[in-house]
Amino acid sequence: MEKQQHRLAFGTLVITSKLPDTMVHFTAEEKAAVVSLWAKVNVELVGGEVLGRLLVVYPWTQRFFDNFGNLSSESAIMGNPKVKAHGKKVLTSFGNAVKHMDDLKDTFAELSELHCDKMHVDPENFKLLGNMILIVLATHFSKEFTPQVQAAWQKLTTAVANALAHRYH
Amino acid sequence: MLSAQERAHVAQVWDLIAGHEAAFGAELLLSTKIYFKHLGVCPDEAQLLTHGQRVLEAVGVAVQHTDHLRAALSPLADLHAQVLRVDPANFPLLIQCFHVMLASHLQGEFTVQMQAAWDKFLTEVAMVLTEKYR
Repeated sequence: MEKQQHRLAFGTLVITSKLPDTMVHFTAEEKAAVVSLWAKVNVELVGGEVLGRLLVVYPWTQRFFDNFGNLSSESAIMGNPKVKAHGKKVLTSFGNAVKHMDDLKDTFAELSELHCDKMHVDPENFKLLGNMILIVLATHFSKEFTPQVQAAWQKLTTAVANALAHRYH
Repeated sequence: MLSAQERAHVAQVWDLIAGHEAAFGAELLLSTKIYFKHLGVCPDEAQLLTHGQRVLEAVGVAVQHTDHLRAALSPLADLHAQVLRVDPANFPLLIQCFHVMLASHLQGEFTVQMQAAWDKFLTEVAMVLTEKYR
């Protein structure tokens, strides 16, 4: 790491470190684990389940979906067509992450601005959604969702969450 | 506080785990390795089984006492506060692993209501275990 010296207005010397570019590196095995599972994912079905579960298990997330109609009960949420449609949209976007695992920051730059500047979504929610993706994948893939596969997916969802939150920093 | 229905969901899921605490515990701890590599801990299989069983049996105690978790888990809360001092930030990670494990075993039966009930329950357990930290 490069060290830079900064002189503050009143003459005090402060040494700071220039941080390296924190790009997430995925190993070949991690990429393979993600890509091979993704090929079998029904994006429409899984997307709807993921968003539905987020809204049920963490009801405060409903605050971002005021115009989604009936979110009054678990069955209303899971059956809500707007939830399903938006879930599909969100997970389709994740498909983009799978294709650009080495370049998530740039891939999600626009979405990051949208979520942060326009929608004002607390970045914590990106982590919660990521966790939901893993849980729903586990219900679908069961034994195939091994600890190694889980690890690769957790790494990806965390990296996407960070990329989406980038505009906050 | 868990509602009656939430308690029912917790009990229903526990029925599948009861008697197999060691196996589930080992699986749980194996999956947490991915989060705790920095601890440099590399337990062998026997240790995983023993410790996993201990953790799951404690969860079993919590399942039996959802109405008075503080009293039931008091000795464990003392242990975590005075001896183990597991960073509170780690509990959500363990809880996530627990959910993934339940999801992979129960698949479609791990309904959203079950997930919500278990998340609420395990979060309460974690809260009780870290309550005496300061």
